[in-house]
Amino acid sequence: MIVAVGTAFMRQPPHKLTYIKLVVPKGWPAPPTNIFANNPLTEEGFQLGRKLFYDARLSKDGNFSCASCHQQFAAFSTFDHDFSHGFNNSFTTRNAPGLFNIAWKKELHWDGGINHIEVQPLSPLTATNEMAETLENVLKKLKGDTSYVRLFKIAFADGTINSQHLLKAMAQFTGSIQSYNTKYDKVKRSEDSFTVSEKLGYTTFLTNCNSCHKEPLFTDNSFRNNGIGENDKLKDKGRMAITGNPADSLKFKVPSLRNVTLTGPYMHDGRMYSLNKVIEHYRTGINFNQPTLDTLLRKKIVITNQQKVDLLSFLMALKDDTMISDPRFRQPN
Amino acid sequence: MMLIAKCSMLFLLMQLFLITAFGQTPVVTLKVIFINTVNKVPVVLDSFEYTNCWNETYTISKLKYYISNVQLQLANKSVLKEPESYHLINEEDTATKSFSLSMPAGTYSSLSFLIGVDSLKNVSGAQTGALDPLNGMFWTWNNGYIMFKLEGNSPQSTVVNNKVEYHIGGFAGPNNALRTVTINFAAPLILLKKENNTEIFIQAAIDKMWNAKHNLKIVEIPVFMMPGGLSAAIADNYAAAFALIKIVQQQAIHH
Repeated sequence: MIVAVGTAFMRQPPHKLTYIKLVVPKGWPAPPTNIFANNPLTEEGFQLGRKLFYDARLSKDGNFSCASCHQQFAAFSTFDHDFSHGFNNSFTTRNAPGLFNIAWKKELHWDGGINHIEVQPLSPLTATNEMAETLENVLKKLKGDTSYVRLFKIAFADGTINSQHLLKAMAQFTGSIQSYNTKYDKVKRSEDSFTVSEKLGYTTFLTNCNSCHKEPLFTDNSFRNNGIGENDKLKDKGRMAITGNPADSLKFKVPSLRNVTLTGPYMHDGRMYSLNKVIEHYRTGINFNQPTLDTLLRKKIVITNQQKVDLLSFLMALKDDTMISDPRFRQPN
Repeated sequence: MMLIAKCSMLFLLMQLFLITAFGQTPVVTLKVIFINTVNKVPVVLDSFEYTNCWNETYTISKLKYYISNVQLQLANKSVLKEPESYHLINEEDTATKSFSLSMPAGTYSSLSFLIGVDSLKNVSGAQTGALDPLNGMFWTWNNGYIMFKLEGNSPQSTVVNNKVEYHIGGFAGPNNALRTVTINFAAPLILLKKENNTEIFIQAAIDKMWNAKHNLKIVEIPVFMMPGGLSAAIADNYAAAFALIKIVQQQAIHH
């Protein structure tokens, strides 16, 4: 009896929270894990996370927010940049990925080095070529700001400004960014129909791309070597840096093709500036002399010029205008 | 805030009772104290120069490690686990070098713990307390806790500023650097009354780092800070460092 009362006290914050739910669109697989299992998704937490996401004061010199490199109009990637700008005129060493449908990812970053959405911000916040700040200083700035003091009190039961609450609030915002309203989704829901070209492109997609860029998420979240070869300046080995396993050399996470017309340039190092180049790579550019080249790419991909045009129109139907214009994801006033 | 704290304390105590089904058995406090030593002498940070078995000299500026999943085995073989058992032992902060366990009275035969943070907590998102990333024991680029951290300097080190830095971690598959230490009591430890004060002193003989199971020479590896590779071997070495010094039981004088 006493145990039950004790538990009830612990779970009941002294104020009311507005619980919100992640949308699991019809026909989608269930998320591999519940990223909100220990972080109940609330409107209050989401709004705090949103403010933090857009706050450049979190960086060392006050110039860089999360949103500097993750821009809503670019599906939360960095528009038209191979690498993103960071502290003191530095650049990142990998192309900033779009942020959406994170609840369906088990690992984050191109090499999968991040094992939980909550701990991801620690990396860009502290990296010297990104926001370059210490966690101590971030918390100090937040504690000295009355609006944050108020928002942490609203969002969390004990109102403490600490790293755990900071990270959980950020996860509530980024984990809520979802893409499920592309033309493709609307066609699947019988709310719209493909053009002839899009329809032909979809067929080409299913034959040649869907094994790795698996619909409806347009990624299978695996790590693969897609045959582009090592970047000779960066020498980035990808997944191998995390696992230490030579079999993972040059493998990178398969990115989602949702919003792909907004997230260029392409590849982990942004070396390809157009989708045309990307398709050309898969048709004619694969370097077969790589021991870790993905087995699915060992057989030559045949896409005719006409099929390429149609495939491009299908890829354009993966743009989610609802998400990139959603006022809930915009910079707060 | 206070109410919540009290309730959770009560909850923990209730749990202990439920686990053991001892009902009204008194709860006793057991203090576990860690003493880091080099060559049998307690560690002095920065100032003192040590010599290892390879005749290399070194100083220690930082020494931190996790002790987690602490459990006590009763003479009847049942096991009591400390709930949410995560402790960061930090040489430069005396308060961190001991912790107290609340245990039901009974006869105990051994104490065991993990050096490091169990795999589950490595993949469970943002933590607080001993596991707060603020403690500088979390890898942000390849997630997971640093289980053991030793930093210092040595003239034998070939890197800039003659640094010596070992950040040891990794929790998955062959990279697992978690090590279990079991301290068997020479004689059964009888914890009787609440008033009795029991302290277990455990030594961590850091000089075991260099050769307990595998040879580690500063001149060859002055810096190692990633999961995998040598982490597991170095973990084998420091796991051998932990041993019982003594158990002290005192009757409380006041009543």
